[in-house]
Amino acid sequence: MIFYKSGDQHPRSVQPEQAAGGTEMTNGVRTDTVPAGESRSPALRSLAAGGAGAEGFGSRVLIVALLVCVGYYLGSMLGFALTFHPRPISTLWPPNSLLLAALLLTPTRWWPVLILAAFPAHLAAQVQSGVPIAMVLGWFVSNCSEALIGATCLRRLIVGPLQFDSFRHVGMFLACGVLVGPVLSSFLDAGLVKLIGWGEGGYWQLWRMRFLSNAVAALTLAPLVVTWTQVGLRSLRTAFTWRIVEPGLLFLGLLAASVYVFAQTAADPATTPALFYVPLPFLLWAALRLGPQGSSAALLAVVIPAIWGAVHGVGPFVTGHPEADALAVQFFLIAVAVPVLLLSAVVEERRKAREALEASEKRSVQIFRSSPYPIAIVRRTDNTILDVNDRWESMFGIPRAQAIGRTSSELHIYVHDSDRRAFFDLLSAHGGARDMEADLCDSAGRVRRAVLSADIVTIGGVPCIITITRDITEQKRTEREAEEQRRQLTHLTRVAMLGELSGALAHELNQPLTAILSNAQAAQHLLAAEQVDTGELREILRDIAGEDRRAGEIIRRLRALFKNEATHFQALDVNDLVKDTLYLARGDLVTRSIDAVTHLAPGLPPVHGDRIQLQQVLLNLTMNACEAMSAGDPNGSTLTIRTQLAADGSVQLSVADCGPGIPAERLDKVFEAFFTTKRHGLGLGLSISGSIVGAHGGRLWAENNPDRGATFHVVLPAIAGVRP
Amino acid sequence: MSLPGPTVFVLDDDPAVLRGLTRLLQTSGFEVRAFASPRAFLEQHDPAIPGCLVLDVAMPALNGLDVQKALAAEGDRAIIFIAGQADVATGVRAMKAGAVDFLTKPFDESQLLGAVTAAIEKDRAVRAVREGLRAVQQRLATLTSREREVFERVVAGRLNKQIAADLGTTEKTVKVHRARVMQKMGATSLAQLVRSAGSIGTEPGRPSGR
Repeated sequence: MIFYKSGDQHPRSVQPEQAAGGTEMTNGVRTDTVPAGESRSPALRSLAAGGAGAEGFGSRVLIVALLVCVGYYLGSMLGFALTFHPRPISTLWPPNSLLLAALLLTPTRWWPVLILAAFPAHLAAQVQSGVPIAMVLGWFVSNCSEALIGATCLRRLIVGPLQFDSFRHVGMFLACGVLVGPVLSSFLDAGLVKLIGWGEGGYWQLWRMRFLSNAVAALTLAPLVVTWTQVGLRSLRTAFTWRIVEPGLLFLGLLAASVYVFAQTAADPATTPALFYVPLPFLLWAALRLGPQGSSAALLAVVIPAIWGAVHGVGPFVTGHPEADALAVQFFLIAVAVPVLLLSAVVEERRKAREALEASEKRSVQIFRSSPYPIAIVRRTDNTILDVNDRWESMFGIPRAQAIGRTSSELHIYVHDSDRRAFFDLLSAHGGARDMEADLCDSAGRVRRAVLSADIVTIGGVPCIITITRDITEQKRTEREAEEQRRQLTHLTRVAMLGELSGALAHELNQPLTAILSNAQAAQHLLAAEQVDTGELREILRDIAGEDRRAGEIIRRLRALFKNEATHFQALDVNDLVKDTLYLARGDLVTRSIDAVTHLAPGLPPVHGDRIQLQQVLLNLTMNACEAMSAGDPNGSTLTIRTQLAADGSVQLSVADCGPGIPAERLDKVFEAFFTTKRHGLGLGLSISGSIVGAHGGRLWAENNPDRGATFHVVLPAIAGVRP
Repeated sequence: MSLPGPTVFVLDDDPAVLRGLTRLLQTSGFEVRAFASPRAFLEQHDPAIPGCLVLDVAMPALNGLDVQKALAAEGDRAIIFIAGQADVATGVRAMKAGAVDFLTKPFDESQLLGAVTAAIEKDRAVRAVREGLRAVQQRLATLTSREREVFERVVAGRLNKQIAADLGTTEKTVKVHRARVMQKMGATSLAQLVRSAGSIGTEPGRPSGR
């Protein structure tokens, strides 16, 4: 499990097996996505990543198997050494817990190999002590079953590697590895001993002795092996600084105390109770300061001397009854080890939580400091600035130290006080502001257009406003430039269109000029006569004035269209637009012998629009219609302009011709820029018309009439609330 | 028989232009009849009335060229086109179809009055020629077939002796026929006779029916 947790160095060949084994073992729990352990052993990592091939995997198993074999043998030897000799069962039996530690540290599919590796060590150790072969085999079965039960339970309960810095994991370990494994295997062990008839004592006595000796071993040795393997030797290598001084002193002190208390002092009923507590400060010290790794090591420094002393008849446990002594020392060790392991886990957990919190706080501060947007934190009660970030400083040119403790009005940040009031009104009304635009001013007096977003939050019990400012000066400038370009293009298209129309416009101007000139010259004739007809003269002058106005009117409309002015939205009557447009287009219509028919719905609601631009659209549609017809049937060419109220309350304007119509596949294409069917056309007219209508929130589309010709429809939203 | 004097017809769909032109022509001493619609004009048009037509080119439904075409079927009418827009193609088409002039609005009175005067004069000349022709044809119709034969040969420049030979008669008889022809045709000289023959298209020099 731990071995293949090598992150990006994952050996490819291991993966499928691991996945299969993992799934099988954990009954559907995804074991391949174990969270990365904080303390990963470099030794293990190098083991896991060492050979990225099939032989690499094999060699790693063999190394671990060899370690298990040697460990099992040495553990057995230690177990024998710590045995009260009349008894068949040791006070501390390490091999099983070493095997458990090995299983916990390795993938499930390695387990058979490791069990096999333990077998020769078991044989070698047991045969030395003259145990019958049946008993040797029986004990091997019970020993392995203990490790397997503990490891299997833990693997099922814990996703990822067993961590002794987690209170939950330590609890699981105590339950499975220290309690369930030894308890269950001890039933088997005691049963086998009775069956083979090698040991002495009753079944329950055997069970109790077997259980306690293995429980103590699991409690003290398995955490030691697991934590030290996980952390590895790296910590030792890098710790050869002053930091080694503390654990060094601790261990020396602890060892001295343990040896003094458990292995030197002769049994003396008068002093013993106090002596038990001598190692305790050192153990607490280890638990509080050195983590699970140090704690497990410290426990060993107590366990070995205590048991050694008891076995060798020294120390506070010695009463002369070996069995009672063993029991006492075991209970004592369990009572010491369990809280120390749990305490160190809790301390470690707290430390990590605190570190995580600190890291998170540090990140938050980092985000605030280096945010790409200027941020200010302002106290709600008096609007003084509590903090600003770097971007805020650079945007406003005000150093943080100067900003803190002052208000936005003191710093003259808002160009318009109304913006400032509007911002605080928004905060009061909604508890926040979203994308409020305002003109802000930096210390040099440069005005920046900005978008403000703010929220009210409580920081350390103080209600604060967090304001994020976004400088959109540049964006606005780009938008303005784009708008200006669009406007220029619109104007140029309009001028080009008027150029096309110039002949017809000349015609329209020449009409009144002709009338004026003829009338004036007729008047001269009348004045030359002896009898001046004043009535006729009056008529003539009235006509001249009227025609002059007519010419002036055309020129006024024409000049309005030629002008390149900023867009000016106002309430417009669409019917007036039609009349205005036909005024200019009349010449074109007449020259082409086209009849213009209008169906103007009375009482239409006004639309919100730019008169010139909408007139441009209408003129464009009218001219296109005329062009379509002069290409078709010259007789009976009729242009129909219709205005009506659309179903949704908007105003619809339709320009229909009776030309050849538009091929179906071009109905949408005609609105694309540079699409034209005219020889001299730029192909911008309809595209500009479309964008003008779009800017008015309307829609422009074309369709073919059922009989002949095409109709262009413009829909413009009516001004809400204005109903005829 | 008292025929009406020359009349200037003015056709323009623009009422202000129509009024101004009417006034200008009236105060210049012309008889004017103004029309605002081509249809009304064509319905009331009497080709017998001498004069000319001042015709606007650009009008809805029926334009100036259409009116010119319609008039051509009824007989000649001197037309002065007036256009609000100098359109070369239209001008060429109008002139090819026999327009007297093509004026671009706005025009000075001298241009208009000059054109109108010229058109009336042309109309008068055309009408005079047409009148003379009709008289010649009427006189020609009174000739007997023999007199006609003699007439054709006389205008062809044949001598009486030759004509007599052609017709198989005597020179004296030819002389009698010739005198009758001269009388019936109202000619006092051979030159006059030849001219009237030319006006109706009888080819001189090649007597028919040899």
